[in-house]
Amino acid sequence: MRLSASAIALVVGLMLNHAAHASQLPQRWVSAGGALSEWVAALGGESKLVGVDTTSQHPASLKALPSIGYQRQLSAEGILSLRPQVLVGTEEMGPPPVLAQIRSAGVQVEMFSARPDLPTLKGNLQHLGALLGSEAKASELFTGYEQALDQQKRWVATAQATNKAPGVLMLLGNAGGKPLIAGKDTAADWVLQQAGGRNLATHSGYKPFSVESLAGLSPEVLVFADRALTGEAARAGLFKENPILASTPAAKHARVFELDPTLLVGGLGPRLPQSLVQLSADFYPSQAKPAR
Amino acid sequence: MSTLVKPRTLFIGLTLLCVLAIWLSLALGPVSLPLLDTLRAALRLMGVPIEASGLEQAELILGQIRLPRTLLGLAVGGVLALSGVAMQGLFRNPLADPGLVGVSSGAALGAAFAIVGGSFLGGLPEVFGPYLLSLCAFLGGLGVTALVYRLGRRNGQTHVATMLLAGIALTALASSAVGLFTYLADDATLRTLTFWNLGSLNGASYSRLWPLLLVSAGVALWLPRRAKALNALLLGESEASHLGVDVERLKRELVFCTALGVGAAVAAAGMIGFVGLVVPHLVRFLAGPDHRVLLPASVLAGASLLLLADLVARLALAPAELPIGIVTALIGAPFFLYLLLRGRA
Repeated sequence: MRLSASAIALVVGLMLNHAAHASQLPQRWVSAGGALSEWVAALGGESKLVGVDTTSQHPASLKALPSIGYQRQLSAEGILSLRPQVLVGTEEMGPPPVLAQIRSAGVQVEMFSARPDLPTLKGNLQHLGALLGSEAKASELFTGYEQALDQQKRWVATAQATNKAPGVLMLLGNAGGKPLIAGKDTAADWVLQQAGGRNLATHSGYKPFSVESLAGLSPEVLVFADRALTGEAARAGLFKENPILASTPAAKHARVFELDPTLLVGGLGPRLPQSLVQLSADFYPSQAKPAR
Repeated sequence: MSTLVKPRTLFIGLTLLCVLAIWLSLALGPVSLPLLDTLRAALRLMGVPIEASGLEQAELILGQIRLPRTLLGLAVGGVLALSGVAMQGLFRNPLADPGLVGVSSGAALGAAFAIVGGSFLGGLPEVFGPYLLSLCAFLGGLGVTALVYRLGRRNGQTHVATMLLAGIALTALASSAVGLFTYLADDATLRTLTFWNLGSLNGASYSRLWPLLLVSAGVALWLPRRAKALNALLLGESEASHLGVDVERLKRELVFCTALGVGAAVAAAGMIGFVGLVVPHLVRFLAGPDHRVLLPASVLAGASLLLLADLVARLALAPAELPIGIVTALIGAPFFLYLLLRGRA
């Protein structure tokens, strides 16, 4: 704690030499939103963070910071005890009376949209860049992001010219237990589409599904995002707990893939393009791999 | 009848405990304020003219965060404990708690409706939005209780046993409706719902505080006046009416006060379990079953214990916060078991 405080003092000192206006910028940040924290780190502001919420899991070094709890259940005094100058979060941050208390204590409260689309991301990055004093870096990151998604789109279009889009189901589970299926109007649905998959689920939101209708949809590909297990352990858990899944075409052709569930929280994050490349390569195995 | 503690001693002790709890609740928090600053800020808030320099932060934290929170804790704790006594008196059963007449499950239903339905409605007027949840919870609690009471009445008489069963049935019905809302909810609203069910004194503000303060003050002043009637009811309904108690009116008042008090408390702070069940037990264990002592003492004890539980809730995980329902159940359940086992031995 004392170390980071002196590190901040050092940074402040350096910035004072660089530009007079840099000292006006907030130097102590609290972030309540997974994707936002990632962007702050990507913009070089990780050393300014003095606290994050429970959804901020990446980069892993953020886990060492004091946790302010769940973003919708913030505590005014808890956050004030970190002596922040700015609190950033998505519109899910709350409850509103607590935000009002934090504002009245003179802390800047900045809300960002968590909508998964590019214009929103552009606005968010510009806003964050201005707050961090790194506008150039922000627009550079956004251009790169836009290009990566463009490239992704083109690659998917080429792939779909010669291949049928696979029917996909995305399962969100916990240690292989009864999974929730991602339907329309979810971040997961957006990810599946960007990766060139055809989401077979037609309901909206994340819902539990009867295994029978799940098998009846005969998905060609299963994507699972497990909150507790990763890799082979999660895959094994999924089939052990839901044996009916083993009879799906996806399982028979070993086309069951994993996705990090933290990618689906709090809007478009910096790690997303990379995961999309991986996921779409899994969807269209015969197509030449997209360039990274 | 001999009791563990004389009423006089009990009241002095509880008053001291309450003052201590209020002071701790004002003086302690994730932001550590120097004791002197806290004192000076407290005096300034009471209108004593003191030099304000350097006190801005202390005054803000004390006046805008800790004081409303402390008042909320006092009112919620007091009214929950008082309603617990009222219900245990009405059902003549020490296992009764305010949830029995459906007020909690009704409030939960109202809250689920507001949380899930509110996100569907979306464009609520700005002024109304923050109060929707509280209002729905309050009306839900009142509505279900009214229905339970109505179902318990036959030929102008309230049958307590029928009311009890009606309460169980309507609670089951209400929780299935909550289940339906849970199914319809998306991830974010689901978590809001879960947290609401665990209660919290977080984010207390004066504008949301005063309806609760008014209601709980009313209930706390009214119920102790019925202490003698409640004592008579302990003997049985017909015995009480032979003693000149209007039993029907008493039942109506008890149910109404509970619905009003618990409804307002739950609307302001969410579901906080175990206070209504354990506090009356604790007081009865110390000072016997006389309602003239039990009612006012439970108010003091409930208020103090809830403030202390809230202190744990806000300090245990600082800068994050624990829902207070977790703390009250964690302390309340083992203590309740202890009382039960002790009574058997």
